[in-house]
Amino acid sequence: MTQIKKTLKLLRRSPYQALAAMIAMAFTFFIASIFIFLALGGQIVLKYVEERPTISAFFKDNTSEVRINEISTNLRDSGLARDIKYVSKEEALAIYRERFKDDPRLLESVTADYLPASIDIYVKKPQDIEEISKLVKSQQEVTDIIYPKDVAEQLTKWTKAIRLGGIVFVATLMAISFLIIIMVVGMRIALRRDEISIMNLVGATKWFISRPFFIEGALYGFVGASIAVFISYAFLLYYSPNIQAFLGPIQVFPISPVFFVYLWVGEVLVAAAIGILGAAIALYRYLRIK
Amino acid sequence: MIQFESVTKKYPNGQIALEDINLKIEDGEFVFVVGASGAGKSTLLKLITREARPTQGKILIDDQDILRIPESKIPVLRRRIGTIFQDFKLLLNRTVFENVAVPLEVLSQKDSHIEKEVSAVLEKVGLLEKANSFPVQLSGGEIQRTAIARAIVAKPVVLLADEPTGDLDPKTAREVVELLEKINKEDKTTVLMATHNESIVNHFKKRVVLLKKGKIEKDVKEGNYDAD
Repeated sequence: MTQIKKTLKLLRRSPYQALAAMIAMAFTFFIASIFIFLALGGQIVLKYVEERPTISAFFKDNTSEVRINEISTNLRDSGLARDIKYVSKEEALAIYRERFKDDPRLLESVTADYLPASIDIYVKKPQDIEEISKLVKSQQEVTDIIYPKDVAEQLTKWTKAIRLGGIVFVATLMAISFLIIIMVVGMRIALRRDEISIMNLVGATKWFISRPFFIEGALYGFVGASIAVFISYAFLLYYSPNIQAFLGPIQVFPISPVFFVYLWVGEVLVAAAIGILGAAIALYRYLRIK
Repeated sequence: MIQFESVTKKYPNGQIALEDINLKIEDGEFVFVVGASGAGKSTLLKLITREARPTQGKILIDDQDILRIPESKIPVLRRRIGTIFQDFKLLLNRTVFENVAVPLEVLSQKDSHIEKEVSAVLEKVGLLEKANSFPVQLSGGEIQRTAIARAIVAKPVVLLADEPTGDLDPKTAREVVELLEKINKEDKTTVLMATHNESIVNHFKKRVVLLKKGKIEKDVKEGNYDAD
């Protein structure tokens, strides 16, 4: 505790360098938080899409429910479908009414007869979509099929791209923060040159002389990452209605506070490690004692 | 006891600072190391604290060869030695109290202990009322007494003083050496003082080791010094 107090006292003597280091850290970890949100959000969206009926098959008006059940059983027997759900004309009407409840004009004169019966087929593996869709198409009673065959694929591609881009971008920012820490700690070593030389001559160990700089590096990381997590939390909270509106039925909010605790702990540990490593390099490079 | 056995120090540029020095200083002695500028006085003191290493020879402190001490243990050696530097080496942004406290901080002493020890030593050197002053607010003599207080606060067994009277007027210079003599007598601290101040050396009648071009020219108990 005394050491932290002493370090804080030293920081107060030249606060601008400390501020620069903390801002660099905060910016880096704020961007890191945003990419973490994007990557995790992408996963939620992907999961949602993967869990959706990947194929919807619509039947001719005169197809009996018995025949539809027969087709469903055949599809189930193919081993490719995880689940098949029958949507009757009446259920289709209910869905339609729910979706357009705010627009009465679209509800007028629409009855169950206008809407086709359908089945929603949940495939086991995304790569089976093609095969099962061929199977469905081959049924004479099927008029049309809808399958967002590329959505999941596209989404996976995007998620991967975001993750990769994020890693590259954040790694670059981390490298910049790291260099700033080396520079700032190096300057502080130069500023305290006389003090270090005296301490060395009166019997201070290398560790005793180095310790405040390690604490300083860790402190830059701790404060920077804490600011970053706080701002990103506030950012997410503020924009949550817009984000939810954009994602529509995909539920991502509320996010558990535990997630932010983990995020904070994780980022603080990484940031402190960067700070300590930066200080170590600065000490190795600039601390000249015999 | 400090012992130099055939010690030679040659700098990388070929300059010989000390040559074949054989010297024995008993515990509790007060020794003036005298000589003109460049005679090797400061180098002799630096060899004792391992700020410099001899090119040849052996240096023993209490029968321990200090050249065999590993780098990591040098701080332990330096804690047994108090040093008063030619340029004082006081921290300008710290008060007298804080400057004197440095050797105890280095030993990670408790604040209460530091408070007690620093106050006692400031009283001994007559600077208690200046405890909260900064070095720029002190006179030359007070600055030197602060440096002495810092050098003795951790109770070293050896006190090295490198030209401690350099920039002081004769009266203040004498007071400073009187203080060193008091420390030597009361605490039984071995004192090695490098100087070229004739009147001081001749006044105090201590052992005098005269260095000339890196060699011991004279080593006399209760000696004199004639700079010419």
